[in-house]
Formats: sequence, C-alpha cells, structure tokens
Amino acid sequence: MTSHFSSDLLVILRHGPHGSSLLRDGLDAALVAAAFGQRVSLLFMGEGVMALVDDQQPDPLGQKGTSATIEMLSMYDIEAILVEQTALELFGLTPDELMLPVRLLTGATLSTLPTSHRLVLTF
Amino acid sequence: MRYAILLLGAPYSHQASHSALRFAHALLARGHSLDAVFFYHDGVQNAARLAAPPQDERHVVDEWIALHAEHGTSLEVCIAAALRRGLLDEREAARHGKSGHSIDAPFELTGLGQLIDLGQRCDRLITFAP
Amino acid sequence: MLLHVLNRSPATSRVYQQALTMMGEEDRLLLVEDGVQGALPQMVRHFGEVQGRLFALEEDLASRGLLGRCDASVQVVDVDGFVLLTEQAERTMSWY
Repeated sequence: MTSHFSSDLLVILRHGPHGSSLLRDGLDAALVAAAFGQRVSLLFMGEGVMALVDDQQPDPLGQKGTSATIEMLSMYDIEAILVEQTALELFGLTPDELMLPVRLLTGATLSTLPTSHRLVLTF
Repeated sequence: MRYAILLLGAPYSHQASHSALRFAHALLARGHSLDAVFFYHDGVQNAARLAAPPQDERHVVDEWIALHAEHGTSLEVCIAAALRRGLLDEREAARHGKSGHSIDAPFELTGLGQLIDLGQRCDRLITFAP
Repeated sequence: MLLHVLNRSPATSRVYQQALTMMGEEDRLLLVEDGVQGALPQMVRHFGEVQGRLFALEEDLASRGLLGRCDASVQVVDVDGFVLLTEQAERTMSWY
C-alpha cells in the first residue's frame, strides 16, 4: 500500500475555503512543487474536505476562491488527490458531491502516507 | 545536519516566532546549521522593517537579523504572501508606485520554489505555525 | 520514526485527532505552546494511544505554570530535547 502513493511531496490541506488563506497557501505550494517537476500528493483532511464541495460560488464574497484551482489540478499533473473518508462522513458528504474524483482513505492507510513521501507540509 | 525552518505565524499575534527563534538557537548550539528561515502566510510579518515593539519586549525582527549576521542563515520571504500584506522591498515599492518600503536586507523576497528547494536540500524542515 | 508537533489544546481543537490519525506505531508526539495543556492529568487521556511516546516542551509548561502539574506519563523535554527529537526522527510534521 505504501509504495502505491509514494511521491516527492505530500501536502496536507486541513482548512476550508474562504475563512483563512491556509488552503490557498497550501495549494500554491503544491502547484509550485508540481511545476518544478515534483510528484505531489494532496491529502484533504478534516475541514479540508470542504475545499472539494461542488457548487462553490466565490461571487457573494468577492474573494478569490480556490475551487477554480482545484478543478484544474490534473492540468498541473497532480493526480493523487486523497481524502480522509471519516472527514467526509463527519460533514455528511458523499464522493458524488465533490467537484472531482478522489481516492478515499481510512486510518491504517493514512498513517503510511507521511513515510512514503520525501517531504510533508501541513496547511 | 542541515536544518530549515518554515514560519507561518506573525510575531506578537502568535507564539510561533518566539518558538522558532528558540529552536533556531538551540539547533545551532548543538552544532547543526540553519540554511534558511522561509516566511510564508502571516509569517511574512516577521520581516516588517518598521516594527517598533515596546522596549521591554523582544524585538523579533531584529533577532532574525542578528541570526543572519551571526550564522549566515538566509531569511527568505514569500513574495506573493508579502506583497498582499504590504511588505515590499525598495524594488517592489518602486515597481508598485509606493512611497516607502517595508522590507530590507537581509530579508529577501523570493518565490515558493525556494521553499520546495529547501525541503529537498535540507535534512530537516520544521514548521512553526500560528 | 516521525516526530509530530502539536500546538493546540485538546480542550479547544480537534487537531490532535488529526495528528493521532497520521501517527505510525513508532512515531512520537511533542506538545508545544498551547498544546502543553494536553499534558495535564485530566487531559492526557486524549493521548492514551501514544502513551510512552508523548512529550511536552518544558519552557511552554513552565511559562504557563504547568510544569509541576504535568502527568507522570508525559516525558518533559527542553528545547535542546526538542532538537534532539528532530534529529532522531526522519522528519517532523506540525499540527496547528
């Protein structure tokens, strides 16, 4: 299982959109790493799963959201989009309510991720 | 070992800066090297040239500058995070038509690629967050 | 073996659960800043699954008046000990 997600960089996103810039800052770090040719995995954890909810409308706030970036992740060659399954359940969300296909992970698999990446950043 | 620090917290708002400074001095005292401190998110406030804390409080900005002077640690500030928060060096201030600048050497404005590079180059990267 | 560093109190934040979720069997957890509140005897139960691998930063305990109130199961280290833990760990993850 470990080698399955083995990669250069794991970015763990644990904050929802709009409330703070941590989600955007984490995504920016991931995109830059990918642009530098690194293999990047993204893990949406806890509140971070809110970043993936479909039908996000940035207009009411006049803030630049993150959904447009997330929809384009595959263009940046970020293919490993991982989601903590219990976090989805916490919010009563199902995978078909997310804006892109993801891979759901649970406890035992999650804890192997940090050792299978050369660098881990938590946002 | 070669260390790098990622600092995400603003001084005086959160403990992160003080924790990072203490950790920096401790690792240097143990014979390690500290290649760089990368300031990102609200951590860019650590580079504010005009910070003027009360005299009975630690001057965090000056302590980073002293760390650079004594140990050669580079002080790298994410340019995108800094410009948004009004932290500009002379060059950026001129480019944006601003009358003053708010970051000076030895702090350097740089891109996020530097953070990724540090992560790959150093043996240890430690994050201090708000 | 990885070192996980937590700076949130379990009284106000569920972030400690994220750290525990991501911890491997050998990994260590260091409580710093407001995280050291988790070292109190009434709070340390939150970290039962990592007993023996739980550390707290002495300076953060002392500055909060908690040094003498720390649970006996928690290993107290000063900032030098913090550096040592990062030396021993393959890498360090911060939870905030």
